[in-house]
Amino acid sequence: MTTTTNQTINQTTDWNALDTEAFRLMVRAFFEQNYPAELRYPKTRLRWAEIKGWYMTLSNKGWVAPSWPQAHGGMGLSPEKLIAFIEEQERWGVGRAPDMGITMIGPLLIQYGSKEQQQKYLPKIIQGENIWCQGYSEPNAGSDLASLRTDAVEDGDDFIINGQKTWTTLAQDATHIFFLARTDKTVKKQEGISFLLADFTTPGITVRPIRNIAGHEEFCEVFFENVRVPKANLVGGLNQGWGIAKALLGFERIFLGSPKQSQYALSRVEAAAQALGLFGDQGFVDRYTQLQLDVADLSALYVRFVEQVKRGEKLGPDVSMLKVWAAETFSRLANLLVEITGGSGAVAGDIEVNGKKIDVLTSFYNARPATIYGGSSEIQRNILAASVLQLRS
Amino acid sequence: MNSNSDHLDTERQDNRRMLAESAQTFATKASPLTRARGLRGSASGFDRSFWGKLAEQGWTGLLIPEAFAGYGQGFGEMAAVVSALATQVAPEPVVPALVFASRVIENTGNGDLQQQLLASIVVGELIPAVAWQEELAGLQVNLLASAVVTAPTNSGIQLTGEKHHVRPGADCDGFIVTAKQDNGLSLWWVPANAAGVKVRSVALADGTSESSVRFDGVMLDSSQSLAQGDAAIVAFTRAYDEALVMTSVELLALQQAMLNMTLEYLRTRVQFGKPIGSFQALQHRAVDLLIQQELTSAVLGQAITLLDSECDPVERSLMASRIKARASDAGLLLARESIQLHGAIGFTDEYDLGLYVQRALVLSAWLGNAQMHRRRYANLTQMNTASV
Repeated sequence: MTTTTNQTINQTTDWNALDTEAFRLMVRAFFEQNYPAELRYPKTRLRWAEIKGWYMTLSNKGWVAPSWPQAHGGMGLSPEKLIAFIEEQERWGVGRAPDMGITMIGPLLIQYGSKEQQQKYLPKIIQGENIWCQGYSEPNAGSDLASLRTDAVEDGDDFIINGQKTWTTLAQDATHIFFLARTDKTVKKQEGISFLLADFTTPGITVRPIRNIAGHEEFCEVFFENVRVPKANLVGGLNQGWGIAKALLGFERIFLGSPKQSQYALSRVEAAAQALGLFGDQGFVDRYTQLQLDVADLSALYVRFVEQVKRGEKLGPDVSMLKVWAAETFSRLANLLVEITGGSGAVAGDIEVNGKKIDVLTSFYNARPATIYGGSSEIQRNILAASVLQLRS
Repeated sequence: MNSNSDHLDTERQDNRRMLAESAQTFATKASPLTRARGLRGSASGFDRSFWGKLAEQGWTGLLIPEAFAGYGQGFGEMAAVVSALATQVAPEPVVPALVFASRVIENTGNGDLQQQLLASIVVGELIPAVAWQEELAGLQVNLLASAVVTAPTNSGIQLTGEKHHVRPGADCDGFIVTAKQDNGLSLWWVPANAAGVKVRSVALADGTSESSVRFDGVMLDSSQSLAQGDAAIVAFTRAYDEALVMTSVELLALQQAMLNMTLEYLRTRVQFGKPIGSFQALQHRAVDLLIQQELTSAVLGQAITLLDSECDPVERSLMASRIKARASDAGLLLARESIQLHGAIGFTDEYDLGLYVQRALVLSAWLGNAQMHRRRYANLTQMNTASV
C-alpha cells in the first residue's frame, strides 16, 4: 500500500484483479489512515472548503473517481469492487464532497459527450478544479420534472437561457452546472428537453442559497437571465435531454437504499436509550426491537439487490422498494429519538444526560429530505405500482 | 476447488428448481383449493391418504438422513415442497411432523428409538407432534418446560402435566414431550394411545385443529427417553428454530398467493368507469404489501442458507425469530389488507381468499407470534447465550 501523492491520471493498476476482500481491506486502511477524524459522520453535507483537502487526497491517490474507466482517470472498478469501496466509505463515516462531477456529469459525458467535451471537462473534475451541480428541479417541476420550463432558444452559435432552477444542492460551491432546458415547446413534454452545460462565470447567472429548516444552506436557487451558452455545451442531440438524464440512473440507485444511514441512526437511538436507562422499559424495548429488525431486514433486501448487480444484471424498477424502505425506516428511527428524549425533544444542539451527549434533532432533520430526494416515497410507490405490480393509472 | 464448489452449487440449484417445479405440479393437481376447502372441519382436518401420496413422492423422508433410510436433502429442498403445498393451503401437518418433530428426533442421536421412529416417518406410517408449550396465551418467551414433570415412583417414571397448541391436533400417532427432570430438560416419546394421555382437540380458524394434551401420570420406560439435559435443550432448540424458518416459508407462500389474488382483483374490478387499481390510494397500499412480501423473501433466503450451513446456535435462533417475526406480521398485514382491498367479496366464505387468510392466522400464531419472537430476539441479543 503506497501513499504516494503523484498525480496518476492514466491509471494502470487493475483493481478488479484483486480479491474483493483484499481490495476492501486496502481501501479501509487508506480511509482510516488518511480521512480527517473531525469530518467522520458529518451531521450535514460538507462544504467544499471543508472537504477539499480529502478530495485532493483521493485525487492524488488516483481514487477520486472509482467508477470511471481508467482511460479517463478513474479506477475502473467493477460493480462488486465499487460496492466494496462505497461500503467502506460508509463504514468509516466518510463525508460526501460536492460530488456531482464524479457521480453524475462525468459518467454522462463519458457515455454521451463529444471528445471535445470529455477532454475539456473530465480532467478538471479529477483535479478538483471544476465543481459541478445539477440543475433539474424547478419551482413548478418537482416530481413532474418533465414539465420543466427553463427556456433555451437558439441564437447563432449559442442558446439563450431564461428560467429558474431550485433545490440545487451546493450550487454555492460549484463552478459549473449541468441542467435540463426546454428547446421545443411544440412536442410531447419529454421530447422537447435538452441537456446543457454552463460555466457559473457566464453573465446572467445568479445563485441564491436557500436556508433549510435545520438552519443549513445545502441547496440553492439558480436564476438564468438571458444567459448565452455556446451550442458546444449541448450534450447528446438536440431534444435528447430527457433520455440522457434517465439513462444515467444506473446501478448507483442502489446506494439510495443503503442501510448505513438507518444503522447509524439505530446506534444513536441505542446510545440515547442507554443514557436514559430505557432498556428496562418493555414498551421501549418492544419498539426498539421492531426497528432493529426493520434495519436488519433492510440489510437483507439491500444484499439481494447488491448480489443482482454483482452478477452483472441490470436493476429493475423493483429497486424502488429498497429506497422506500430505507428512507422510511430511517425516518421512524429519527422519530423515535425525538420521542424518547421527551421534554428535550425540541432542544437545538446536544443535550446532556448522565454525562452522555445526545444530538436529538440532526437525525430528525436529515430524515425529512431522505423521503423526498431522488424521487419521493410517493413517486417510488407510483413506479412500483405501474412497473412492478402492473397497476395502470 | 472454488470452481468445483461453484459447480456443485449450480447443480444443487438446478436440482432445487426441478424439485420446486415438480412439487408445484404435484400440489396443483393433487391438492386443488377445493380439497382444502372440503377438508375444513373434518374429523382430523387433513387426509391421511394424501399423507401416503407425500410418502410416495419421497417427501416424508426428504430431510431425514440416508442413514435413517431418508433422502438426506437440505432445507432449501424442503422449502420447495413446503412452499408448493402451502400455496394450495394443503392442511397436512408437513412442518409440524416432518420438520419440527422429525428434527427433534434426529437431533437427539441415533439410538434404537430414533431409528425406529424415523424409519416409520420416512414411509409415511407415523405422524408425530411436539408437545412443548405450556402457556395457553400471552407473550411469554418460555420454551423450557416447567409444569410438565417426570418423577420417579416405585414402579418407574411418571409424566404429569398439560401441553397446549400441539399440531396436528388430531390423527397424530405420538408426542415428543418436553419435561422437567432434575431441574433439567428431558425429551420423551409418548405414543398417543398410551394410558393416561388425554387429547382434547381445539378447532382452529383454518378448519384444521390443534390439541391440548394432558399427561396424567403416564408411565415412562427408559427406552422412551430421547435426550436429557443440555443435549435435550440443543436438540429441541435447533428443531424449533428450523420449524420457525419452515413455517415462514409457508407464510411467504400465503403472502404471495394473497397479493396475486388482490392484484388481479385491482386490475379487473371496475368502479367509476375504471379498474380500481388505477386509483393511487389503492396502488400505494398494494405497494406496501409488496414491500413486506419482498422483505420476508429476502430474509427467508438468508435464513434457509443459514440452516443448511454449519452455524452458531445463537445466530440460528436470532435468524429464526427474526424471520418468524417478519413473516407473521407481513402475513397478517397481507391478510387484512387483501380483504379490505377486495371489499365485501373478500369477507365471504365462498371466495378463496378466506382460505389463505385463515391459514395465515394459524401460522402467525403457531410457535410464537411476531411480538413474542421480537422479545425472544431482544432477550437473545442481551443474553447472547444459546438458552431458549
